[in-house]
Amino acid sequence: MRYRGWIAMMTLAVGLGMLTAPVRAFDESQYPDWKGKWQRPDGERPVWVRAGDKAPLTPEYQAIFDWNVADQKAGGMGTEPSWMCLPPGMPRSMNVFEPMEIVITPATTFVLLSHIHDNRRIYTDGRDWPSEIEPSFAGYSIGRWIDTEGAGRYDTLEIETRDMKGPRAYDTSGLPLHSDNKTIVKERLYLDKNDPNLLLDEITTFDDALTRPWTVIKRYARDPNPRPIWQEAVCTENNPHIRIQNDNYYLGADGLLMPAKKGQKPPDLRYFK
Amino acid sequence: MQFRNSVGALTVAAVLVATTGLVQAFDDAKYPDLSGAWDRTGGAAPRFDNSKPRGLPQQAPLTPEYQKLYEASLADQAAGGQGDHTVYRCLAWGMPAMMNGYASIQIIVRPEITYMLIDDGNDSFRRIFTDGRSFPEDAEPAFTGYSIGKWLDTTGSGRFDTLEVETRDFNGPRVYDNTGLMLHPDNQSVIKERIYLDKKDPNSLHDEITVEDHALTRPWTVMKIYNRNPEPTQWREDVCVENNPHVGIGGDTYMLSADGYLMPVKKGQKPPDLRYFNGTNK
Repeated sequence: MRYRGWIAMMTLAVGLGMLTAPVRAFDESQYPDWKGKWQRPDGERPVWVRAGDKAPLTPEYQAIFDWNVADQKAGGMGTEPSWMCLPPGMPRSMNVFEPMEIVITPATTFVLLSHIHDNRRIYTDGRDWPSEIEPSFAGYSIGRWIDTEGAGRYDTLEIETRDMKGPRAYDTSGLPLHSDNKTIVKERLYLDKNDPNLLLDEITTFDDALTRPWTVIKRYARDPNPRPIWQEAVCTENNPHIRIQNDNYYLGADGLLMPAKKGQKPPDLRYFK
Repeated sequence: MQFRNSVGALTVAAVLVATTGLVQAFDDAKYPDLSGAWDRTGGAAPRFDNSKPRGLPQQAPLTPEYQKLYEASLADQAAGGQGDHTVYRCLAWGMPAMMNGYASIQIIVRPEITYMLIDDGNDSFRRIFTDGRSFPEDAEPAFTGYSIGKWLDTTGSGRFDTLEVETRDFNGPRVYDNTGLMLHPDNQSVIKERIYLDKKDPNSLHDEITVEDHALTRPWTVMKIYNRNPEPTQWREDVCVENNPHVGIGGDTYMLSADGYLMPVKKGQKPPDLRYFNGTNK
């Protein structure tokens, strides 16, 4: 009698378990918690080169960078493309100029950045590199989730990004990537083991303007607000920079054209009678 | 003794249920399948009301004041200008024009937020908050506005099938399409949507959009329909400023020629005022 009672109860348990267990298309417990708003830790500027470091540029690109620095000092924009509101592309997007949100789905991890067209799609569905990819500033990213600790949960996202277009620079200094756009960017994205509210992105850039692969580690701090405030950034709104004949000018507060450099000549108005 | 055994068995049962029913973080079976790329229908030229041609035939219910402004915008465009069209200089479309489907739309449904990724111009994405929040008192205005949504099960099937959305707190200027059909510059628009799959065709998505705006005499409702591309090969990156020949100076529009020089867009247009350049004629 007792035995039959147990069987009945166990049957009930299994049945209840089946009823309540959901159709779990996506078990997000297998993935790290990267929800929320990620931003540069206080005081960290959106620059690629830390103080005291030097970019491993080839002599050719060091010369280009030096020209760029001088041009920017004189009021020009050198090799820095974002003043025209061109997207930062990779790897520069990961400076996280504006806060970032990461949305994980089984087939794709989305990196959402409301700065200048920075959103990324990182495909984690096991695909190979397509034979034809249209180049883009963000590039084409394939990722792979890894459980580095054998905990039965993923903790690291390894990413490779190719097929970028340009021009791209690492940051507002104008530090340029090669104009051949053959950059490959590899990343390892993971939470700090000691602080689950600190996200690390170990980014290695392979580029023909470099003498060697260049690795930096970016850090992002999670906003503790469970409902963070998101701000919209529209680069072209009130952007005073204007480019005519490969020269940059400014628009004054009155909307009129102004020189950007001392002694700069006005644009050629040959098409106006 | 029998009672203790029953209690024990029930305890085991409860633990089993708790363990197996557990990691239910997101049961996406409760939500409609909105995967893939959603592409606009209704012909080549994106416009707000796809059931009607562009321009005046849209029959937008504008107030007399805004009807005049719209006619002036169209006349300026006919003469080579841009009228009230704002996106020629790559400002964001914002709502509601970003739902015209200038580029494919990707929808990502999560429990707290539904995202719409729209890679066109500066309209990168929308967040539609479905976590039960109220509209904040001090939301910062945005071209996309601030959207709060609610999932509905309208058929009693136990699954959500419709997303009702309300969007407020806009930045501007905004237009409905590139003919320069304006929304009121007070940016007090309220936009309501009902988004759902066609009952007969799960690859057809409907967005019934109603705009309430002070440039209108009444709420304006249109139906947007998108077709699903289940396996897009690549998402297009659309960068408005890249090779954009349009330039705005001193309230006027100009163009850049293929060789990069400033050009007039209208017959007899004067060059820009160059007063800030030393020793230069205007």
